[in-house]
Amino acid sequence: MSTTGSTSRFQQKWLRPLTAISAGLIALTACAGAVGSSPPKVVDPQDWADVLAQAKGQTVNWYMYGGDDTLNAFVTGYVADRLRERGVTLNQVRIADTSDAVNAVLGERQAGLTSGGSVDAVWVNGENFATGVQAHLWLCGWAGALPNSRYLDFTSPAVTSDFGVPVHGCEAAWQQALSALVYDSAELSAANVSSMSALFAWARAHPGRFTYPAPPDFTGSLAVRTVLYDTIGGPRTLAGPFDPARYAPAASRLWQRLNAVEPALWRGGSTYPQTQVAVERLYGDGEISAFFTYGPGAVGDQAKKGLFPASTREAVLAGGNIVNDSFVAIPANAAHRSAALVLANTLQDPQTQLALYGAEGAHPAIDLAKASASLRAAFAQVPRSPSVLPLAALTRHAQPELASGYVSRLEQDWKTNVLQR
Amino acid sequence: MSIPSGAENPATLLPHPTSSPRVRLPTWPRWARITLLLLPALLVVAVFFVGGVAQAVAQSLGYQPFLPGHGLSLDAYRRLWHDPAVRASLLLTARVALLSTVASAVLGVAAALLIRRLARTRTVVTRLVQATLAVPHLVGALCMLLLISQGGLLSRLAHAVGLTASPAAFPALTNDGFGWGIIAEYVWKETPFLTVIALAVLAGGAADLENVASTLRANGWQRLRHVTLPLLAPAVAAGSVLVFAFTAGSYEVPYLLGQPYPATLPVVAYQGYQNTDLRARPEAMAVAVLITVLTALVVMAYLATASRLSRRSL
Repeated sequence: MSTTGSTSRFQQKWLRPLTAISAGLIALTACAGAVGSSPPKVVDPQDWADVLAQAKGQTVNWYMYGGDDTLNAFVTGYVADRLRERGVTLNQVRIADTSDAVNAVLGERQAGLTSGGSVDAVWVNGENFATGVQAHLWLCGWAGALPNSRYLDFTSPAVTSDFGVPVHGCEAAWQQALSALVYDSAELSAANVSSMSALFAWARAHPGRFTYPAPPDFTGSLAVRTVLYDTIGGPRTLAGPFDPARYAPAASRLWQRLNAVEPALWRGGSTYPQTQVAVERLYGDGEISAFFTYGPGAVGDQAKKGLFPASTREAVLAGGNIVNDSFVAIPANAAHRSAALVLANTLQDPQTQLALYGAEGAHPAIDLAKASASLRAAFAQVPRSPSVLPLAALTRHAQPELASGYVSRLEQDWKTNVLQR
Repeated sequence: MSIPSGAENPATLLPHPTSSPRVRLPTWPRWARITLLLLPALLVVAVFFVGGVAQAVAQSLGYQPFLPGHGLSLDAYRRLWHDPAVRASLLLTARVALLSTVASAVLGVAAALLIRRLARTRTVVTRLVQATLAVPHLVGALCMLLLISQGGLLSRLAHAVGLTASPAAFPALTNDGFGWGIIAEYVWKETPFLTVIALAVLAGGAADLENVASTLRANGWQRLRHVTLPLLAPAVAAGSVLVFAFTAGSYEVPYLLGQPYPATLPVVAYQGYQNTDLRARPEAMAVAVLITVLTALVVMAYLATASRLSRRSL
């Protein structure tokens, strides 16, 4: 029996057609997005009634950092209810890092999916926004057309530029993050948290009781920049776009300082927690006694639930605290643009901003001076947890962010100069 | 045995029951039938595996159509070679994958041999072992954190009974430099997998051969060494290769239980993938390609050894 002859005939007969079919099918799947779906209906945010009409019945897939339980409850509760009144269903997609959402959109764009994308809205700012700008991922020119954008102060650089990148209406501000140091007052005194040097001195006296998440974690990156500001006397010397000549001396002093304190950190500084969630778990478990946060308002809720000790307090170090606005961006290929626009507008609603402040302690992105007197009074009446600093203390020494070029460079160089050293 | 309809179709060598008439599809050409039957499986492989790997290779060479001014080059692989994160990662990944695989194989075979000796409780124990298979690795990793981290249950118990002065005095078994936590999770999860495989082999007539060996005056050790283990070896080895490939390429367990540096290769790849600077993307993809190549090499080495072994036994 000639097996070899039948094998070659076998190959000739079906292997080739099979390869051709497979190749064709792969090509088909790759083009499916471009060919299969109809062109997106053009939405004009100027015609708000039309936006509302189109949004009715849509589901908006909002990709957002999901590590904040208090905020998650606010989004799936209050925000979802408000959107339901407009006939819009909110699907909160919780992600560990905003870059996951940017990567999802990027992947769709690479596959040729110019419409009908799975991401309708992203909670974003800083480098992730810059990445989207770099790859032309965002829908632009709509943020100023939202009806509630009249409450924003468009003369403020915090609203019109995002870590040094001009916003150009590609994203709508919805909250301001004020950073703070969270500490257990049973372990640290007010003097220990008066300045960065005092905090580091306390850490040396109590080895293993302080740490920060490894950048590029959002809050880990904040902690590193806070130390940088304290080391070089604020952000002024690094204002404007990335300048290697000014960066190098500042960074070398920063690495020196971080490496000096490293042996006193958690696990002797041999490693760092990967995420802010892990850091807050260490604090809740009593392994560490202090950490930096971008969400000081949520700390009261954590203390009330018993996840943090009741003696938890907050402080702003002498050098001031870093503040940034965060935004909602809409990918250009979003399947539900209208619903995403309605979401962005709902978030800027003064009532939403008030509810967010009450639930999360998140500082409003709107300019309270443009809101009604009764709303200002309502903001003043929101009860504060004893664990949380009042707004006035959190904003008194607020410091702006650096350009995103500095931020990503610091994250990159932290790895080689601190983590891998 | 009669070879059916040999004249018209010599390639059909499979014996089939002669009693029932065979249902055939004479109108379909043979290649079309095979193609149709293979298509679902091939499509999955082609689209998700070949397509994915091709994308990774293309991007590792710098293929980024959405960024202007980037030609194809091997720069990413050159940078990989000099990246301390990748160098440290190779050692850690190899250590975690090898130790997990060896420990799971030894424990899995031992467990199967013990379970076989059980009388009334055998069914219950077997079910327990199988139940572990259904637990996702993510859940297993979180359980390990709750159990053996410094803020975990064991640490609290040790503190409560006065073994340690503080939670931090408990040895660091998770997020540690060696990878104990990762290895513990993999061994906990993969041992039952190899136990189930070994049990299936043992159920297939191993007892008869062992009895024959007994009648030939083989003692317990000789039966184990010359009958039982050789019977188990091919299936357990194949299972171990799967375990190795999985533990070398899995992301969530080393992410949760490991360190940011040194991290296993999949974590390094994802760190690069998450870099907000898109120009870091080729290096992330190069790490992914590296994982694929290393795993493929291990599987190929196994296949070569396995075929040589089976040829020798024939």
